[in-house]
Amino acid sequence: MMGGVCIKFGDSVNTDVIIPGRYLVSIDPVELAKHAFEPLGPEIQGQLRRSQIIVAGSNFGCGSAREQAASCLVGAGIKAVIAKSFARVFFRNSINTGLLAIVCPEAVDAIADGGELAIDMATGAVTVGDKTFHFDPYPESLQSIIDAGGLIPYVAKHVLSAGEVRKNG
Amino acid sequence: MNLVEKILARASGRAKVSPGEVVVANVDTLLLHDLSGYITSRVFEREVKMPMRYPERVAMVFDHHFSPPNEERANILEENRAFARRHGIHLFDCGSGNIHHVGVRNGLVRPGTIVVGSDSHTPVHGALGCFAVGLGNNSHAAMVMPFGKAWFRVPETIQVNISGRHKPVVTPRDAALWLTGQIGEGGAVYKALQFTGPYIKDLEIWDRWLFPLITIDVGGKCGYVEPDEKTIAFVRSLTDEPFDLVTSDPDGEYEAVWEYDISELEPQVAASPTLGNVKPVGEFAGAPVQWAELGGHGGGRLEDIRQAAEILRGRKIAPGVKFNVVPSSRTVFAEACREGLVDVLHAAGCSWFPPCSGSNQAINMGAMSKTEAMVSTHARNFPGRNGSPEAMMYLSSAYTVAASALKGCIADPREFCNKGGTV
Repeated sequence: MMGGVCIKFGDSVNTDVIIPGRYLVSIDPVELAKHAFEPLGPEIQGQLRRSQIIVAGSNFGCGSAREQAASCLVGAGIKAVIAKSFARVFFRNSINTGLLAIVCPEAVDAIADGGELAIDMATGAVTVGDKTFHFDPYPESLQSIIDAGGLIPYVAKHVLSAGEVRKNG
Repeated sequence: MNLVEKILARASGRAKVSPGEVVVANVDTLLLHDLSGYITSRVFEREVKMPMRYPERVAMVFDHHFSPPNEERANILEENRAFARRHGIHLFDCGSGNIHHVGVRNGLVRPGTIVVGSDSHTPVHGALGCFAVGLGNNSHAAMVMPFGKAWFRVPETIQVNISGRHKPVVTPRDAALWLTGQIGEGGAVYKALQFTGPYIKDLEIWDRWLFPLITIDVGGKCGYVEPDEKTIAFVRSLTDEPFDLVTSDPDGEYEAVWEYDISELEPQVAASPTLGNVKPVGEFAGAPVQWAELGGHGGGRLEDIRQAAEILRGRKIAPGVKFNVVPSSRTVFAEACREGLVDVLHAAGCSWFPPCSGSNQAINMGAMSKTEAMVSTHARNFPGRNGSPEAMMYLSSAYTVAASALKGCIADPREFCNKGGTV
C-alpha cells in the first residue's frame, strides 16, 4: 500500500514542463528533481515534496522521449502517477525507472488537488475517501521490471532468453 | 499479420504476435544524437558496465551542435567522441546533418528492420517500412547496447487512409500538419499508424516521410508506410547492404480505419503551444515574425529549399526578418549548390547554416526573446523550446515560411502565385 496527499495536474502535461531540456545533461534523479515542473513556478516544488502520488488527466508525459521525465519524479520521492492516460514513451520510461504508471480515469475524476488517496497494487485498486476504483494490473513481464526497481537492475538480476523476458532466467 | 506485427514476430523469434503481448526483439539500428547520446553513454558505462555487443548497429550523430557555443558543450562533445572511439560505434560529427537524415542517407535505415533511438521523432523511419520507435536512455543502455535487444508491447494498428489531390501551393507538410489536428494530440496513444491510400502511395519518399513524423504528436508508438518499388529504389540508391522487405498480409488486422480527403485543404499553420493548434493560414495571417527557418528534425529537405526558392527568387525578405536555411544533410546542401538554390536564397537575404538540426531546442542557434516569433518547418512548437516561453513558433510548409518572410508576418503563400496556380 502507498498513498497520502496527491498533487494533481490537467491534461497533456508535456516533458518540457516536467523537466526542461536545459537540465538534461544530468542523470542524477535527485539533482533533476530540483527542477521538476519548474516552468509551473516555485510553489510546485513544495507540494511535490509532500506527495508520493501524482494525479493527472490524459496524455501525461507527452512530447520528448527523455527518460529524465520519469526519473526526476523518482528523485522527488514520487512512487506512482495515476492518470487518465499516458504518452507511451513516458509509460515505458516509468516502468524502466521503477515508477508506477497507473491508468484509472475514474479515480482521477474523483480526487481534487491535495486530496488523499491510497493505492493497493496487489488488488489493483485506488481508494479515494469511501470509494474504490479498479485498474488493470501490469502484465507479469512488466511487473517484474517494476519489482526489480527498473530495467537496469532487472537486467542485472535476470537472464534474457532469445525470445522473451523470463523471470529467474 | 500487418507489417509491425510481422517485423516484431520475426525479430523476437516467434511465428506470430498479437497486440498487447510484450516481446523482446532484436534491434537492428540505434540512433543517438549528441544530447541523448551523452546521457545514454554515461548510464551505459557507469551503471550497466557491460561490453557493446553490436557496435556496428549503433550511430551517434552530433546534430544539436554544428559547433559548440561554450566550453561545457565542447566537453560534452569530446566525451561523446571518446565514447564512440572506445566502443567502435559510428560517429557523425558536427556539420553532418540532422540525426534522421544522416541515418537514412548513410544506409543505417533499411526496410523490414527495427530502428530505435532516444529522439522522439525516431518513428519517422517507418516511412521506409521499418518498425521505428523512440525509447528512453535506460532501454538503450540496459538492453540495446549490451544485448542488441529491447522489450516492446505489440501495438494495435490503425489504418490512416488518405485520398484526394492538393490544391495548388498546398503541400504534403500542410496535409501532415492538418492530420495532426484531425487525429488530435493523444488521439492515437500507444497505436501504430499505417499511413496509406492513393494520396500516400503517389508521394515520393521524402514527402511520405512527413507522415510518420507526426506519430509522436498524436501519441502514437510508431507510424509506417507500406514499402513499395519507390522504397526499394530509394534505399538501393543509398546502400548496398541487403534487406528483406516486409509488407502487411492481405488479411492483416487493424483496430480501425480512418479515412481522410485532402482535396479541399488550404495551407496550414500550427502555432504554439502545440502541434494540435493547427488552423488554415488565414487564421494567423498578419501575426508578426522576426525569424524564419527551414530546418529542424522536420525540415531542411531539398523539397523545402526548392519551395522557398520558388517564392523568393528575385525577391527580398522583409526588413527585420532573419531567415535561417539549415540543410538536413550535406547531400542536400551539395544538391542545393548544383541547382543554384544557394545563390537564390542568399540573394533574397537568407543565411545558410551548416547541416544540423537547426534551432531545435535552441542548443546552438535560434533562441528568441519574449517579443519574438519564428515561422519554420520544425517539428515542434512547445513554449520555451526556443528561448523565452512567451516566444511564438509557427510551423508550416516551406512555401508559407518563405511568403511570411517576405511580408514580415504570417502570410498565405497563394498571394505569390501567378494566375496558373503555380508559384
